[in-house]
Amino acid sequence: MSAPWRRRAVVAGVATSDYPHLPDFSEHAVHAQAAQRALDDAGLTWADVDGLATTGFFPMYATGVAEYLGLHPTYYDETNAGGASFEVLVEHAAYAIEAGVAEVVLVTYGSVQLSQMGRRLGTGGGGGAAAMAPGPAIYDALWGNTLVGNYALAARRHMHEYGTTPEQLASVAVTMRQHAAHNPMAQYRDPVTVEEVLSSRLVADPLHKLDCCVISDGGAACVVTSAERAADLPSAPVYVLGGAHATSHHLNLSAASDLTVSPAAQSGPLAFERAGVTPDDVDVAQLYDSFTITVVLTVEDLGFCAKGEGGPFVEKGGLALGGKLPTNTDGGGLSACHPGMRGMFLVVEAVRQLRGQAGATQVADARVAVAHGTGGMLSTGATLVLGREAP
Amino acid sequence: MGGERFFPDEMPVPSASAETAGWWEACLDHRLVVQRCLACGTTRHPPGPVCPACRSEAAEWAELPGAGTVYTFTVVRQAFLPALADTVPYVVAAIEPDGGGGARLVSNVVGCDPEDVTIGMPVEVVWEDISPELALPRFRPCADGGAVP
Repeated sequence: MSAPWRRRAVVAGVATSDYPHLPDFSEHAVHAQAAQRALDDAGLTWADVDGLATTGFFPMYATGVAEYLGLHPTYYDETNAGGASFEVLVEHAAYAIEAGVAEVVLVTYGSVQLSQMGRRLGTGGGGGAAAMAPGPAIYDALWGNTLVGNYALAARRHMHEYGTTPEQLASVAVTMRQHAAHNPMAQYRDPVTVEEVLSSRLVADPLHKLDCCVISDGGAACVVTSAERAADLPSAPVYVLGGAHATSHHLNLSAASDLTVSPAAQSGPLAFERAGVTPDDVDVAQLYDSFTITVVLTVEDLGFCAKGEGGPFVEKGGLALGGKLPTNTDGGGLSACHPGMRGMFLVVEAVRQLRGQAGATQVADARVAVAHGTGGMLSTGATLVLGREAP
Repeated sequence: MGGERFFPDEMPVPSASAETAGWWEACLDHRLVVQRCLACGTTRHPPGPVCPACRSEAAEWAELPGAGTVYTFTVVRQAFLPALADTVPYVVAAIEPDGGGGARLVSNVVGCDPEDVTIGMPVEVVWEDISPELALPRFRPCADGGAVP
């Protein structure tokens, strides 16, 4: 698919804001810190930016961030696919660069969810505002279903169909914590065992507290530009080899046709095809880990193992350093940081791996990385394939 | 009114729309229905304005016998509404109603120990009268163990 004349999109700068506790920051201030650091990393300035991509929970969100940052972009995008948003936004930014309608797109995320909303959020997704909605969400909320409960429904069905065990789910959290131990910024760094995960409080069977992501403040950003523009910049460019996204349903998990399959089953194969690689070519992965079951479904649906083999895959260390698919090398949303829509963090860590800047959790000679976001109630999926070398 | 209550009064209440009113009205009559496309026969839930398979707007409320099976479930143990503090643990389940053409309803399994709920368990509808305007279908294990009459 690569024509010799084609402009190639690259990620030229990445950064996170401080995290996970930012009690003195506004949401916009988190954007500003992450964006400034990403521009510094890219060796670019605010004056170079002609595109802005971001999303949040209010309409015209990107417009508000643009005003706050003093930007007047001629390309902007605020596609909201929940947790998958930032993989979609980077994919879109790559198309804009390749089409020649933008030169430097700043993709930025900020949240102060922990400081503003407290710790009840994770069990409140089915109530609160959703409970008052006139739309279909009420068909779950009215019966006391919760955000965790929705993922628990999927987990239980996966256990039923494939024999997946609570111990296998717990092993995902154990591996993420092992990686977080090497990340000085991670929200939780002390090692945990499978037994400790299983003895943590059950929130919604079969998901325990430690099967659920943390709730954090934080943000992240990246700069997408053309390979030509990046040639003069300080960091080694990381190529956007391919991307794709998909959706299976909105917020009613009961409306999904198969609770054991996520939209990654659609977005993954498309993204790999567009990138010209296969799952076997992937050296390191950053996979949305809202819950342990999310990761099990994703490794299956992206094709890193067969459907139903996700449990044994994670239990045998498939996600660990030295395993088949080292995953969430920063500690992930289960241990490091999850401010609500974590997708931007996935891209940042994938780029650091491909640059060889991942420190103690660096995967040797990483050439191809995958970042995959999952949003809603397993409703949306977006896969990005990134590479160290030009396709 | 006056039947058994399972959840507190403080639970959220739905606001019906033109396309969902028929479902809530059937509930008030203690009739379990699912929306069925008149053009292609595909069932859907929650109710919606067009058939997701063929986009026809023509639909009927197909009355179901009220039995079904548990497709999947969870035991919610952490209350998200203060009013539910005394209700946990409770079972949220995706129910496949008999005759529903594969459509699933999220509801509760009541009338048994949460630990006894299993996937594939036969259940039957039990109506909870919330107010003169609202009745909700919940499900309990079949009294006869699920034997087909």
